[in-house]
Amino acid sequence: MKKTTLFKACTLAVAMAAASASHAGSLTIASPQDPGSWDPIDTFLVNWASVGTNIFDGLTYRGPDLELVPGLATSWEELDDGKRIRFTLREGVVFHNGEPFDAEAVKFTFDRLLGDEGARGPQRSNYTAISHVTVVDDTTVDFFLYQPDPVLLTKLAAYGAMIVPPGYIEEHGEEYFDTHPVGTGPFKVVEYTPRSDVKLEAFAEHWGGAPKLDSVTYRFISEPSTAVAELQAGRVDIVLPPTVPIGMIDSINAHPNAEVVSVASPTVEALRFNTQSGITADERVRQAIIMAVDRQAIVDSILAGEGSVIASFQGEQSFGFDASLEPYPFDPQQAQALLTEAGVEPGTELQIDIRGNDATFAEVAQVVAAYLQGVGLNASIQPYETNVLLNDIIPAGRTGAMFQQKWGGWTFDFDNTAYLMYHSGERWNPYDSDATLDEMLDAQRSITDRAERETLLQFVARYTKERALEMPLYSLNALYGVGSRVENFEPAPDNRIRLTDVDVTE
Amino acid sequence: MAKFLFYRLLQALFVLVAVTLIVSFAIRLTGDPAVMLAQGAGSITEADLERIREALGLNQPFLVQYLNFLKGLFTGDLGRSFMGGTPVGDLIGRALPATLALAFASMFVSIALSIPLGVKAAVSRGRWPDQVIRVVSLVGLSFPNFWLAIMLVLLLSITFNLLPPSGMEGWQSFIMPAATMGIILTATNVRLVRTTMLETLRSQYIMVARAKGLSDSVVLYKHALRNCSIPLITYFGLQFGGLLGGIVVIERVFNWPGLGTLAFDAVAARDYPVLQGVITVLSLLIISINLLVDIAYGFVDPRVRKS
Repeated sequence: MKKTTLFKACTLAVAMAAASASHAGSLTIASPQDPGSWDPIDTFLVNWASVGTNIFDGLTYRGPDLELVPGLATSWEELDDGKRIRFTLREGVVFHNGEPFDAEAVKFTFDRLLGDEGARGPQRSNYTAISHVTVVDDTTVDFFLYQPDPVLLTKLAAYGAMIVPPGYIEEHGEEYFDTHPVGTGPFKVVEYTPRSDVKLEAFAEHWGGAPKLDSVTYRFISEPSTAVAELQAGRVDIVLPPTVPIGMIDSINAHPNAEVVSVASPTVEALRFNTQSGITADERVRQAIIMAVDRQAIVDSILAGEGSVIASFQGEQSFGFDASLEPYPFDPQQAQALLTEAGVEPGTELQIDIRGNDATFAEVAQVVAAYLQGVGLNASIQPYETNVLLNDIIPAGRTGAMFQQKWGGWTFDFDNTAYLMYHSGERWNPYDSDATLDEMLDAQRSITDRAERETLLQFVARYTKERALEMPLYSLNALYGVGSRVENFEPAPDNRIRLTDVDVTE
Repeated sequence: MAKFLFYRLLQALFVLVAVTLIVSFAIRLTGDPAVMLAQGAGSITEADLERIREALGLNQPFLVQYLNFLKGLFTGDLGRSFMGGTPVGDLIGRALPATLALAFASMFVSIALSIPLGVKAAVSRGRWPDQVIRVVSLVGLSFPNFWLAIMLVLLLSITFNLLPPSGMEGWQSFIMPAATMGIILTATNVRLVRTTMLETLRSQYIMVARAKGLSDSVVLYKHALRNCSIPLITYFGLQFGGLLGGIVVIERVFNWPGLGTLAFDAVAARDYPVLQGVITVLSLLIISINLLVDIAYGFVDPRVRKS
């Protein structure tokens, strides 16, 4: 009798264990900020995108490898010299509420983005090339463009171009949609508590196949040490960038159940010059200042190797990157010679403006100042409140001889940087005006031939390097804190981690 | 009495308007929410920013924005968050109970620790228990509260894995934040209890009680403590108001879903309506507590009423 009971108990235990093993797990992710609304056209926050990429699909899709592949559109064709794009849509796709996805949904999405609702948010500016969208039949749409936009297909893979359900929004209203979003993505939102967390559940009917996980919870934790503590305590599985500070890498890696996984990100840093007045108006002085600073040493020591020295103001993944373009060498003697040639007196003072809340960059600026001291320049560091620097000081041209510029673009296209930094009259270009650059930058915007455009953008990069318009410092890595139970995790350079294949061990 | 009340209410109203005016003005000096909202957008143009500002009502003059806020305040509408448009009232409605719960828990910890310790120190005045309690409380006073919080997390959550490092998920979540706040408060309160107790112990009725042959514990806890509870309660009441302000840092460290975290994130995002709302509610709470204390004094002491 006793034996039978024991046997039964064992069978039951094995059965239960088997049941829990076949039962896929749940994942918890720490995200630094609640975007407040899940409507794709309301915000332009990377912390929206890290969640949004699991809720929504675009016509195109771009994963961690940054290759553009079909999403809700299975193919596309450029017509009328790039002024019309015809998309063939995927069939049999449904939204989380059961509503079918079709050409009308695509038209509705872009009418909404380009109409009144879109006018209230920051997304519309990305899609100004689009004039209108017409439905050809249930599975075909035409995008009519004012002018060709070589980056449009990339832009359709994210943010404001995510396809939304017309029936659902018309039934429940815009405001309801903000907090109860519905898309066609691999996960659906089941519960959203503002400023606390958002809970997602696998959407088994997703066209790309059911996710391996059952559920995902994004917790909003803004304090880095708290997010890292949660990771180490095993209550959070992934900490999204840019939370993990460089100073915490070692302590995370020292923990048995967590590690830091990094990947090159689009974020680049530079110290740009006032090219209009003062000593930095002289090209030789600018080149000298760049050569006076050992940028590799800065990456190795202050960034703990989590970055790469750059030759122009873009990282290696950027379209327009030229591997053959070498950074200025670290050469204090040559720097000294150039300064003497330009008639710069030893002990000349210059000011470096930085963001006051950026502790890592404050260290970088101090090291730069020390190197400049080595060639006889007295650099002082002026920290500003970030918003003040970005809104008042830089656009108004009230900076010191050098100022910090941190930049990153999710499109990974040099146009997004170069046009805004170097074209005359742009907000971020208060000092310089160069007819050659203006011409090149305008020309590449209407060229859809990729190779031709890449050549132009590479020319721009080389030209700005020769003119030494900035001291390009480094491109930063995106740091993910990852718990040991997470499987199949591939870090995305742009924070947009789609969790379809991610799994956990219990 | 009615006149006294009227003047006190008028004063409270003035303080509220002054505080909200200063906060609304100051946060507008710190940057543009439209830029924060679009921070991921490389290609945002001035025209786009202008469009967003218009949608948020930021293109109006400051005074118009402020008067709109005041108008909303008196009709019970605190506006909507710039981040996604959630009504500020809803956000505060969720955060306020969390903050109050933590504040009460912290007060509880502090009172439970400071009264027995303070009494013990007073009774053994000058001898070793008094010295130890005084030195420990001095050390406690010198701790920055966030440091203590981080040390607790390292020890109890990461090393021993006993408590959740952050969030509000049950009674376990209260232990570390309430202990952090409570311990810091205790450091001050022990000294207060000790001093008040020493004064009371010098009173004649205590001597009488002892002369009657009552036991030490009865003298201490029934006679002496009861008589010093009046100044202590007043002090703890006022401390509660101050506590609400100091809780911001602790809430951030523990990711506590309260007003402090809400305010902190609102500052970071330049979310004016949320920040204005939180400051207004906190000010209202503190003003009400002070008002209640004042009114209570008024009832007790006729001299206060007349001044």
